[in-house]
Amino acid sequence: MKGIEKRLREEAKILLDAGTVSVVLAFRDGHNEYCPVPFAARDVSDVDAIVFNEYCTHNLARYVTEYDPGTKIAIAAKGADSRALVVLIQEEKVKRDDLVILGIPCAGMKDARRGTVIDETTTGGTLNPVIYDILLADPLPETDTSPYGVLADLESQGHDARWGFWQREMSRCIRCYACRNACPLCYCDPCFVDQNAPRWADKSPSLASNLMFHLTRFYHLAGRCVDCGDCSRACPMNIPLYLFHKKVAKECEEMFGQVAGMDPEGKPVMVDFKVDDSDEILI
Amino acid sequence: MVKKIERDRIQDIAAALMEKGTLYAPVEDEEGVNFHPVDDAARVTLDFYNTVQGPKCAFFPQSDELVRYRMTHEGPEAVEVLPDESPQILFGVRPCDVRSLAIMDELFCGGGVVDPYWKNRRDNTTIIAYAFDIVDPVDFYGSFDIGAAEETGADILMVGVGGEFLLDARTEKGTALLAALDGFDDAAEGDKKRFAAAVKKAGALETRRIDTDGVDRDLMDIFDSDFWQREAAPCLNCGVCTFVCPTCHCFDINDETLFGEGRRVKTWDSCMFTDFTLHASGHNPRTKKNQRLRQRVNHKFSYYVTNFDVISCVGCGRCTRFCPVNIDIAGVVERARKRAASERTE
Repeated sequence: MKGIEKRLREEAKILLDAGTVSVVLAFRDGHNEYCPVPFAARDVSDVDAIVFNEYCTHNLARYVTEYDPGTKIAIAAKGADSRALVVLIQEEKVKRDDLVILGIPCAGMKDARRGTVIDETTTGGTLNPVIYDILLADPLPETDTSPYGVLADLESQGHDARWGFWQREMSRCIRCYACRNACPLCYCDPCFVDQNAPRWADKSPSLASNLMFHLTRFYHLAGRCVDCGDCSRACPMNIPLYLFHKKVAKECEEMFGQVAGMDPEGKPVMVDFKVDDSDEILI
Repeated sequence: MVKKIERDRIQDIAAALMEKGTLYAPVEDEEGVNFHPVDDAARVTLDFYNTVQGPKCAFFPQSDELVRYRMTHEGPEAVEVLPDESPQILFGVRPCDVRSLAIMDELFCGGGVVDPYWKNRRDNTTIIAYAFDIVDPVDFYGSFDIGAAEETGADILMVGVGGEFLLDARTEKGTALLAALDGFDDAAEGDKKRFAAAVKKAGALETRRIDTDGVDRDLMDIFDSDFWQREAAPCLNCGVCTFVCPTCHCFDINDETLFGEGRRVKTWDSCMFTDFTLHASGHNPRTKKNQRLRQRVNHKFSYYVTNFDVISCVGCGRCTRFCPVNIDIAGVVERARKRAASERTE
């Protein structure tokens, strides 16, 4: 990781010095070594503050849509970050030409708050960036473990048990919207749940209003979610949102042969149509 | 009056307290330990450092009904939901969180408009504080002269010593509750000494500290500074910090109606949200995240000081611990002060 940090600083310095980009999205130290903070380096003098370690788990693609169109942005992109960038490019939220993607192959990232190693049980397990301009380390061998393996337990349960599980989980939501706001692909402005004329979901947390929010969000991310796991890591209530996202991603893959965020030239499944598309979901 | 009970009889403590009123206590759930109204004594635990959220839910629930209404053929019918008068017990509150209640009293039942929902619950609640015996490096309650075994604001102070909990009443309300509880043993002279020793030992615990003298003026000095753009750059504008915070108290009032029937509710709001300051006209004076982060810090460390002469932060460390992007409010305040100082010398 120290090698990646060094390379990140070197490339950031070159890019900022030459004026190739006006900002480099990376990380800086937080209040302790386990708590790095997403960092927008804008000047060569900022570069020495850039860090990279196994706690730099945040999907920095989240910040790309905050900049004015045309801003030249360099971004430290891990596997899932690069997949989110692909979706943003597909959806024309950012132009490929405006990005300098500093690709970071990495495995064994850690969730400091939960003391866990992040793997394909809570994320898509994409170890290598799928697009990049500069690769900051040698590519890693991708694991062949399915990111959907974790669903087996839930899938083996009956309808009532699964509904019971989601009722319990959804009831615990406090509607802080950390999941939505950490998500690189939740860029709607305004989000439907923040609208008040009409108000689509009550402000009071309840099973009904929480379901209204989460189900709408889950389905709005269908075929778009890149399974980075940031929503679930951001959640203060430890709601396993990734399980729902994974289930929808699995359906997209099985029914439409599509994995989100792999091909900048492709289209997200919900805005794509082929005559031989599966019609299994139609009654 | 010191009383004692074995640690492994925590469920008996909870059951005894439940007989005296609605019990709010730390309960283990998927997210960790959090305050909940207790319906099953077996779920109460004191095996935690601090709860996920502050204890404000006992006085200021996330959703509080004010009016129920429905449309009838004769016209609308509305019934006011009056504040509850029944006794409550808030059990296992850390000393810094106890302080948060006195801070919010200034707003909800101080000199100005009195919120009867808050005040009734405060008047009817007996608070059992639970002293810290270790310090998490993120906490900074020492900055506000709050001790790890601080008794201010508590009706009963509880400490864990060896295999036992020792409880000592600090107010009349606390004495009355403690005297009425079954299952506790009266403390011997030695227990009283152990209680005093534990309080003294906890009193020696040091958290990190930030210097808050004059912070309210410093923050106003850098109100328009680009400092906030830089500090807010990582901020997601989610509401985690405000919803885990024991002193954040901003609320919204909404009508929640379904099929001609509904309720008017007071719900938690968050200065981090886009619709927090949205005017009916569509204008929003606070559209940028640097403005929102500045609002949260300034409200706590400057505006509240101007209005009530007290900082609206108790240094519990929750917002730092739970921030998805690791923003540390103590660090923000320290850097703000440095920035103000450097601008003064320029």
